[in-house]
Amino acid sequence: MEGFNVMRTARILAHSSSLSIRNTFAAIPWWLWLAQVLLTSLFSMAFFAFVADFAGNPEVTVAYVVLGNSIQSIAMVTLYSIANLPAIEKHVGTMPVLISSPSGLFTIFTGMALFQILAGFLTVIVSLGYAVFIFGLDLSAMNYEVMAAIVIITAFSMAGLGMMIGAIGIYLRTGMILASVVSYIGLVLCGVNFPVSYLPTWLQPVSYSLPLTYAVEAARAAAEGATLTEVFPEIGMMLLLGGAMLILSWFMLRGFERMVRRNGSYEAF
Amino acid sequence: MNIRVTYAAFRQQMTHFLTDPQWIIPSLIAPFMFTIVTLMIFKDVDGPIVLQAVLGGGVLGMWGNTLYSSGWSISYDRYNGTLEPLMVSPTNLMDVVTGRSIWNTLIGLSNAVLVFIFAELMFQTGVGLSDPLQFFFILVITLASLASIGLIFSAFFVLTRASSVLMSSLEFPIYVVSGAMFPISILPGWAIPISYILAPSWGVDAMKIAAIDGYTGIGPGILGSLGIMIGLTVLYIIMAKWFFRKIERNVRNHGTIGRF
Repeated sequence: MEGFNVMRTARILAHSSSLSIRNTFAAIPWWLWLAQVLLTSLFSMAFFAFVADFAGNPEVTVAYVVLGNSIQSIAMVTLYSIANLPAIEKHVGTMPVLISSPSGLFTIFTGMALFQILAGFLTVIVSLGYAVFIFGLDLSAMNYEVMAAIVIITAFSMAGLGMMIGAIGIYLRTGMILASVVSYIGLVLCGVNFPVSYLPTWLQPVSYSLPLTYAVEAARAAAEGATLTEVFPEIGMMLLLGGAMLILSWFMLRGFERMVRRNGSYEAF
Repeated sequence: MNIRVTYAAFRQQMTHFLTDPQWIIPSLIAPFMFTIVTLMIFKDVDGPIVLQAVLGGGVLGMWGNTLYSSGWSISYDRYNGTLEPLMVSPTNLMDVVTGRSIWNTLIGLSNAVLVFIFAELMFQTGVGLSDPLQFFFILVITLASLASIGLIFSAFFVLTRASSVLMSSLEFPIYVVSGAMFPISILPGWAIPISYILAPSWGVDAMKIAAIDGYTGIGPGILGSLGIMIGLTVLYIIMAKWFFRKIERNVRNHGTIGRF
């Protein structure tokens, strides 16, 4: 077996990420892509902000909801897009070519995921802008460095979850449906729009097995001026969960590649 | 309108759906999740407000399906390479899309019913409808109005391969301005006229008046809201017909459909 080669891996990552960007903008013009980012972030946040305003629940204020949705926006973009990567390759018929290449699915999909992570950063910046300038979120006490660290680690951990979901999706007829289901779960399970304590007791451990729950808790603390030390438990859990999911996705993708090559059973899935 | 073409398109769409029915999930998941979140935010609230959230969730379900299916209705032709033969066939494109839309409308109705049932089972809201027959009639007309908006979008989806992007961009604005989950009176002043020109806003209003005791609605009452919705729906269908004719002629004249 060929050993790990840093330069070769970096080259594959660069190629696949540039291919991902070219694929995106070959299918749609850049301005339409940007419009989608801007409109979807605004209106999904507005929807829950108006619901919170109408409900008048003192624990779930408009400020509570818009901050949660700002963090959720990065998860939505990275998780859905990354989980969908293998599904798209299957859909357009390029998966057998990728499997037969010596580069490895994990490296190729990681490269493709880099652009989605950048898109996630853009989305969270735009969403926080909406939260402040349209919905009046007060971030005057926010610790900006800590918030930036949380956003970066959230993107990493959600990418891990996305890769794992994408790997599962390869075994299905289409992974797109699984990706769309999972990308919305954060809205319900992760304390984005209401406290996790509102959920039934049996469901709360599921919430705390998802990195987004810790991301939202850490972001709420950072918005009130918490330091890095104070949010370290949440950040640590995100790193742990994200790392574990990435490793798991590596094993799943490797296992799938080997099985398909050995059995010639790609078309069975 | 050529009924035979429309019926054939209806059957074809039905066959496609029954071959792979899992595709109902993406159009159902967002409205379903949004309904759950709304009901969780309305903690310890019951009665009319809960019913409003459940009804709203059903409308979101119908809208999600309408938008999703109208977009894919053309995109699948583009993807499968059948859009060009479809465009050059002597049948009217709108007749074909109408047949597909009728099937999608039926599925949209099942989406709404599924959201109602799930919300009831999960939250045991225990709310009832004062006049189920009237409510169901308004629900069907509202669904037809959503389908007519879908027809307009379908016409534009002929022009672009970016329909999936347009679909996801258009999903949430309608959720907000239709007032499905909250009264449109809490929207900013500039957004309220947009709600008024959307037929589903009036459908939601009529549904809420029919279902919730003491709900006054936007103003014109149940018959007024129903009338405005039907009028707007007819207007949308006329607009869709005009757009289809213009776009069909345009792409045939220029022979550029494969380029988009």
